[in-house]
Formats: sequence, C-alpha cells, structure tokens
Amino acid sequence: MPTNLSTDYKLASPPRVKRRKLRVRGTDVTLVEQVRKQAAADLQIDIEFEVLDFLTCQHRAAMDPENYDVYEQCFHNLDIVWYWGALQPIDTDRITEWDNIGDLAKDGGISKYTWQGHGDAPIRKLYVQPDGMIGQQQMRHISMLPTAHNMDSFGYDRRVFGDGGPDGPSWAWLFDPRAKGRIALVDEPAIGIFDAALAAEANGDLTFADIGNMTIDEIDSLMALLETLRQQGFFCGTWVAPQEAEAMLHADRVSVQSMWAPSYGNLGAMEGVFTESVPREGYRAWHGGASLARHLSGAQLDVAYDYLNWWLTGPAGAMMARRGYYMTVPKRVREQLAPEEWDYWYDGQIARADLQGPAGNTVVRAGQKRPGGAYRDRVSRIAMWNMVMDEYNYAARAWKHFVSSLREVTA
Amino acid sequence: MIRERTLGQEPLYQVISHILRGNITSGRLPQGLVLIEGPIAKMMQTSRAPVQAALRNLNDAGLIHRFRGRGYLVGPPTETLTPIRRSLDDFKLDISEQSKSALEIRGTWLRVYDQVEAEIAACQIFGEYRVIETELADYLGVSRTVARDVLSRLNERGLVRKGATSHWLAGPLTARTLREKFQLRGIVEPEALRLAADHINPLEVGRIRDEINSGAVTGSDVLENAFLRICLERAPNTVLVEIIRNNRLLLSSVDKALSGLGLPADSVALEQYRTLFDLIGSRQIDAAAEYLKEHLRLLAYKSLARLKIVAIIPETESLPRYLTPV
Repeated sequence: MPTNLSTDYKLASPPRVKRRKLRVRGTDVTLVEQVRKQAAADLQIDIEFEVLDFLTCQHRAAMDPENYDVYEQCFHNLDIVWYWGALQPIDTDRITEWDNIGDLAKDGGISKYTWQGHGDAPIRKLYVQPDGMIGQQQMRHISMLPTAHNMDSFGYDRRVFGDGGPDGPSWAWLFDPRAKGRIALVDEPAIGIFDAALAAEANGDLTFADIGNMTIDEIDSLMALLETLRQQGFFCGTWVAPQEAEAMLHADRVSVQSMWAPSYGNLGAMEGVFTESVPREGYRAWHGGASLARHLSGAQLDVAYDYLNWWLTGPAGAMMARRGYYMTVPKRVREQLAPEEWDYWYDGQIARADLQGPAGNTVVRAGQKRPGGAYRDRVSRIAMWNMVMDEYNYAARAWKHFVSSLREVTA
Repeated sequence: MIRERTLGQEPLYQVISHILRGNITSGRLPQGLVLIEGPIAKMMQTSRAPVQAALRNLNDAGLIHRFRGRGYLVGPPTETLTPIRRSLDDFKLDISEQSKSALEIRGTWLRVYDQVEAEIAACQIFGEYRVIETELADYLGVSRTVARDVLSRLNERGLVRKGATSHWLAGPLTARTLREKFQLRGIVEPEALRLAADHINPLEVGRIRDEINSGAVTGSDVLENAFLRICLERAPNTVLVEIIRNNRLLLSSVDKALSGLGLPADSVALEQYRTLFDLIGSRQIDAAAEYLKEHLRLLAYKSLARLKIVAIIPETESLPRYLTPV
C-alpha cells in the first residue's frame, strides 16, 4: 500500500479542460460566420452554426429539439416551436442588458402613439404567461431574446419607375404593368405572401379585413389574383436565398422585386439604377431573436445564457448594422461602430466615407443616404410584421402551388 | 349480387327484426319467452342499439310486449303468459343465408369503420384528399358495398363530402374549422357538465384524481376521454352527448396525428385536468364549468399553433393509398 496517495497520483500537468461547445440552429439572417468567430473568441467556447432555410429551421426546431442549444429565428414563427414544447423560458434577470433593450420589442412601439402594425409584432409573443402561453402581458420570463430586426420593402429600377413622385414608391409596383415580365417575389409563405397582399391592397384589387391574419376567402382571392397575373406573364420568378435575388438583378432580369437589406450592398453594375423603396403604405417588418432549447440545464445552460448576453454587448450588433439590420440595444452597438457608420446606418445621415460590410467589401459609397432615413423614422412607418397566420397551412399550400406553377413556366 | 347489396344497405335493426319476426311466427321462439337486448346483441354480433330498435319494432307490431320484468315477452300483450327465462342458444334460431350475410357485412363494417374514420380524420390536417372508393375496398379487403357504406357514414358525420364531380373529398382542416369546433365545445361542454352534475359518480372522479396524483396518467388525451366518459356523457340528454362526441371526433384525430408526429405530452393541459377533476370532485360544478371554458380557450389557441407545423411536412409519408392529394 502506498503511504501517500496524494503524491503518488499527482498529475504531471494540469488536466486539459475541454472547451464547451454550443450548438446554434438558425437562418442566414443572423448566423453569420463573422458573428460565430467573434462570439467563440470572446466567450472562449466552440460554436457550431447550423444554417437552415426558414421552413426547415422552424420544422427541425420543433420536432428535433435535442440537437441544438440555441434557436435563432424570427418572432413570427416562434409560436409553432414554443407550443411544440421545444423551448424553455428565458429568465430576464439573467440578461444583463435587459433594461437597455429598446421599446419596440418590449413595449410594442417606440412611443405610445406608434401604431404597432398588423401581424406578429414581437411583443405579442414575447412574455411567458403563468399558464404557459406566450403573450404581451409583461412578465419576468420571455420566450425569445429580441435581437436583430429590420423593416423590409422592395427594390425597383429607377429607369422604369422614376422616383415615385411626391408620394413615393408604392407596394402596387409589384403588380405594375410597366414591369410586366420583370417582377420577382420572395418564396417564403410567411413573407412573400404579404408582399403580394400589400401589392394587391395598394393597387386596389383586394382589401383585407386584417392583412396580418387573412381568412380562407381572402387567401383564395389573393391566390386567384396571383394566378391571373402569372398567366398574363407578370412574374419572372421567385427567390429563396437573397443571392438568387441578386443574381436576377445582376442579369438585368428584374425591374421590381422583394428584396432584403444586405442585397443593397451588392448591387454591382445596378448601383444607382436599382433602389430600396420607402413604400408610401409603410414597411413589412420582422424581428429576430434567440431562444433556449428545453433540454438545457446546469453548465450548458450557463454557456447558452453567456451567448445570449454576448449578442447584446455590441460586436454582433455592429456586424448586423453593416448588413442593414438594427439591434435591440443600440447604445452598445454605437460603441462598436465608427461614428460615420453609426450616422449612416442608425441616424440616416449622408455617408461621409465609403462604408464596409461585415466581410470587408464596400457596401455604401460616400454621399449615399439610407432610404427611409433614421431608425426612428423607419420604425414609425411599420405597416405590418411578418406573420405565420392562423390559416398558415392553407396559405402555405396555396403559395407552394403558385410557386411551382411559376417555376414550371420560367424553367 | 343485387339482392345481397340491398340487404347490405338495409339498416341493421331491420335485419335483426326480420330474423326475430321469422322465428316468432314459426313458433321456434315460444310465447312467454323473455327477450333481453344483451344476449341478442351478442348472438348477432352487433351493438345493443339496433337490437333495441328491432325490439321496439316488434313491440309496435304486437309480436312481443313489455312486462313487469326486464326485456320483452314473446306474444301479444292480451295474453297472460308465464315468463320463460332460457338462453337463446337453446332455441337454434333459423337465420336465412341472406340475413347471415347481411350480418356478416355489418360485422365487417363495424370492424373497418373505426380505422377508416381515424385515417380520414387524420389526413385532413395535411390538406385536401380524394377518397377513391375502389381503392378503399381493395385496401380493406371488403366489397365496394361495404366501402360505400363506410363512406356514407363518414359523410353523415361530416368527415367526407361529395365534390362537384361526385368524388369523395376529405379536408382540408382549416383554422376556421378548428376554431369553430373549439367554440362549439366551449358552448356545449360546460352546459353538459352542469346538466350531468347530479349523475356523476364521485367514486369514478376520485379514482381519476388518484391516478393523476400518483403519476399513473401522463397523457392529457387519456384525461380528456375520461372526462367525456365519466362526466359529460352522464348528462341526461342523448342529443347533446351525441353532438359533443361528434364534434370531438376530428379534434381528437388531430391530437393523435400530432402526437404521431412527435408532439410531446402537454404538462400544462395535464395540470388543468387535475384542477378540473378537483373542482368536480368537490362539487363546485359552476366553477368547474367556467374553468373548462377557459381550458378550452387555451387549448384552441395551442392547437392552432401546433397545427401550423404540418404546412411544411411532406404529407404523403404515412397515408393509406386510397387517399390521393387534390
């Protein structure tokens, strides 16, 4: 028997501590490589990003809840995943910057006079109620930590539409005969269908009692209108990834289409020709966030909280800003941006210098001004939020049908 | 063939009535013999309801009559008869081949109906489907007559309908249908509970509460069914109970289909049933009825959200081949 166990078993070197690994499932809206690298470096952990398209992402988040730790998506399809029991409530007492999160997410608008917009304003799904439902009554626990968000519109060719006159561009342009044969929509039933609905309402073809929650009859009418326009050859295609939208643009195949912020930094030869619209009817907004998987506990839950907290510290917000997205704690983002960047992206001022995107390429030229102006101005022009409507199944199937018949013709 | 089809479509109570009538008039069933539903249903392999109707029929025709005991006596009411209590098996009933095959068809029908009902209710969450009669007959290994009978019954229950081209159609289940069904539940179930109050067996309620507390029950669907069985179905109003049962049909199929897709047990709903049974157990019926209403409101909301998952699931995976997407 050895007399001194402790010395006999003393290790030659301290044990190698295995770095913790965090698995994040989400979409390319927030799962950006620069974000992953920066978070991994700041938190001293390994981070794995699983980038999926919107539909696959929400489907897998609900039905395969064991294989991710953090879920990054939008508030508009949160209820599916939540009521499938895949997530756990987030304790706002553990969110360091919670008090600094802007009023848009927490209170539903930047002031009590602001109209919240149709559809799924994030606040309507934010707070975990005592009965396990998610709603807007303020509570200590939340369903998703609100992070990146933006107000979307469409892009248009000034050679076709000019500057839109005193009222500015209209969603009606998406169905405008001037662009016949050169119109594209985003292929996502919780988003593209609303671009179409806004267009139909703006040009007077249809009216919706609640555009954010259409009835079966309203969906039928909208799909019938889309089918008529398709047969008349109005559309040249749909796109799933923003790169596809950019490709159609570079090939000069579109005059007006659904478009997302980062694409305006990659217009190529169409710079100065293709423009982001500020629709007179208002924007279609979306709000992203991060949620905790139900299975998390102990040390792994702590790591996930660290990651959520990191999102609000500034570096992620700066990278999002360079893609044209806003963050819920602007104060911390400002610390991470050059003054000229802040002034352009958040303050709506004319760019004093060329500005770079997250990958280092120039996305804004000196002298440009962000369409729609400052954050406050853009936020107060939200017409509606992306939405997974009650009749989502019905709408998604009809939409799928429309997109596939469009593909058959354009292929 | 034509004859058999006619019999196949003849209501079951008439087939039974026909058999009994024949055996009474031939004297095979003696005057004074006591006829009780249960043994007849067992012999004919049917449920009690058609036997009940058949006996009423024979009673109206004066072939049998009520007496001071349970059941009926064979023979006209004018005669004073001593009740004969013997097993039906002792009399070797004469059943024609036609009636036999009609009973068999009915037997098959009963066997396959529940399965088809569940499958057709479940498919509706994935969209609209055409039900092909010949494929259904083939799939079940039954005649087209039986398949058509099954579809007619489903039609009565509102699970299938005839389309413009006279094809059978099922679905799609929309949010509107779901919301309407839950709204109807919210109206009729609390009232049924109030009506049932004095007819609910406290021992049964106690047993369920024990099972919940001991963790023996983990699925809220089990409790939902128990609540229907030991509470709502006790309401002394058969029409109301039938409405409740029919209205739940599609909803419970949706639940089954969703748990088949992996929806985990709803622990909140389980808790709510515990509270509900506690209130009923302590005879706070008005409070229970109000609580039920609120529980149904939340359930409607959750069901709607959960159902949205199927928009993106490839639908054809596990559906029987007699269903084709429209």
